[in-house]
Amino acid sequence: MRLAQLYEWLPEALCGVLDRLPGPVKEQMEEIRVRQDRPLEVVYGAESSFVTPEGAVTDDPTSAWRPDRGLCRALLERITRHSLYAVEEELRSGFITVSGGHRIGMAGRVVLENGSVRRLRDIAGFNVRIARERIGCSAPVMPAIVDPAARTIRHTLIVSPPQQGKTTLLRDIVRAVSAGDWRHPAAAGWRGRKVGVVDERSEIAACENGVPTFDLGPRCDVLDACPKAEGMMMLIRSMSPEVIAVDEIGRPEDAAALREALHAGVRVVATAHASGIDDVLSRPVLRELVAEGLFRVYVILSRTGGRVTHRVVTAEEALCGRPGRQAVRSGAAPRDAPLVPAARPAAGSGVRVPLAEADAVRQIPARGGKHG
Amino acid sequence: MVKLAGALLVMAAGTLIGFAQAARYAARPRQIRELIHALKRLETEISYGQTPLPEALARVGGALAEPLRRMFLRAAARMAERRETTAEACWTEAVETVWPDTAMRAGDKEALLRLGASLGLSDRADQLKHVRLAMVHLEAEETAAREEQRKYEKMCRSLGVLGAALVVILMV
Repeated sequence: MRLAQLYEWLPEALCGVLDRLPGPVKEQMEEIRVRQDRPLEVVYGAESSFVTPEGAVTDDPTSAWRPDRGLCRALLERITRHSLYAVEEELRSGFITVSGGHRIGMAGRVVLENGSVRRLRDIAGFNVRIARERIGCSAPVMPAIVDPAARTIRHTLIVSPPQQGKTTLLRDIVRAVSAGDWRHPAAAGWRGRKVGVVDERSEIAACENGVPTFDLGPRCDVLDACPKAEGMMMLIRSMSPEVIAVDEIGRPEDAAALREALHAGVRVVATAHASGIDDVLSRPVLRELVAEGLFRVYVILSRTGGRVTHRVVTAEEALCGRPGRQAVRSGAAPRDAPLVPAARPAAGSGVRVPLAEADAVRQIPARGGKHG
Repeated sequence: MVKLAGALLVMAAGTLIGFAQAARYAARPRQIRELIHALKRLETEISYGQTPLPEALARVGGALAEPLRRMFLRAAARMAERRETTAEACWTEAVETVWPDTAMRAGDKEALLRLGASLGLSDRADQLKHVRLAMVHLEAEETAAREEQRKYEKMCRSLGVLGAALVVILMV
């Protein structure tokens, strides 16, 4: 269904070639890479191939179909709805999100103004990333990130390199939390939590006219196309969320907003580009957040042979044996959390958070990093 | 009796032709003026609303009178369909289709087609420049059209009546 939606945005010649692709490729297709005068490439499962004009996949670039200038221009006109002037902001950031949540990245010549990027021109490379909805993909992760004491989820950071399914997982966690699909033995009978989503790239919810087209559960509010830091503050002020979800944090202002959310008693689920805890620790902003112990759980995604595997690392394990370790505190509990102080996770004591991790799928721990 | 009827018919026909011609002279500056207003509205849609072209054209067209209304709405519908490849093609098609129903001339059409060639293809500042350029062009045409109207409108009317009278006299 979503693929059909995507086809509406592509020129007919391209649709024709894609339509002739073998069924399994079409089903698993993740990226369509259109480069002017160069072979058309599709990425599916763990593989990537060129596509011949007949729609067969091949590894030989010379026999592949090559989109020409006219096709690239038609593609650009369609995804911008014939109105480049209306997507100036998107052209500055280099991608456009079309209905269905599919993100189309662009590369071309950059026009500068006063030294900063003003927009793209001569766009000759497109990367169509197909959004997939995998309802239930958060099921194995949920038990590990549920906070039984506070009856909500812990502050969670989802970490992986690009294209491993961060956003897909985040989306399903949002759905699970807002629908009350906790997947935890202690959570039977809990209701869902109000979730606020700051969807800067319109990828999490894929809103159309403000209404999410992905299933995000019944208790979800989305700030579409809003800068993350500002959006988090807006949500806290206006929508009284209990959990906030944001994609791809990493800038200093994001960190400030995350701290603010923490003090407002809101749980945060975020994602970040990194290949592991060591990478997280080498990114200045994220390192600070880890050192402060803001995130209680890290979910690290990796993909082998088309299957996404994940491991869960707790804050204590992430910090274990690292310089700059400090007292770790847990976020304020929601106001309806049971008042049993003993049941709260023992903050900063180095004691691992009980219960939840026991049944989590884990490989752990991330100490003694791979990178040195 | 039959002669009288024939003469009356010839007179009526001549007068109508004259009046129709005069009406064309009167309609042209009016339509150009309306087109300029429409472009002004399009300018606002582009600069403040940043409305995508299909919606902007539909909105502008909705407030116009026929036949310009049809032209804008047709272009908007074609772009929204996403079947046609470029905005230029949609625009040109709409202009060409509706043009015979307007009172405007080749110069006016050229201004519109030139605008179509750049429609939607650049950033806001550049789009505004193109729209303004078309407006300036049309304003010049409008002045010329008014001049023509002043000169020829009345003349056409009298010419129609007098021409018919001449035919009647010759026939008698």
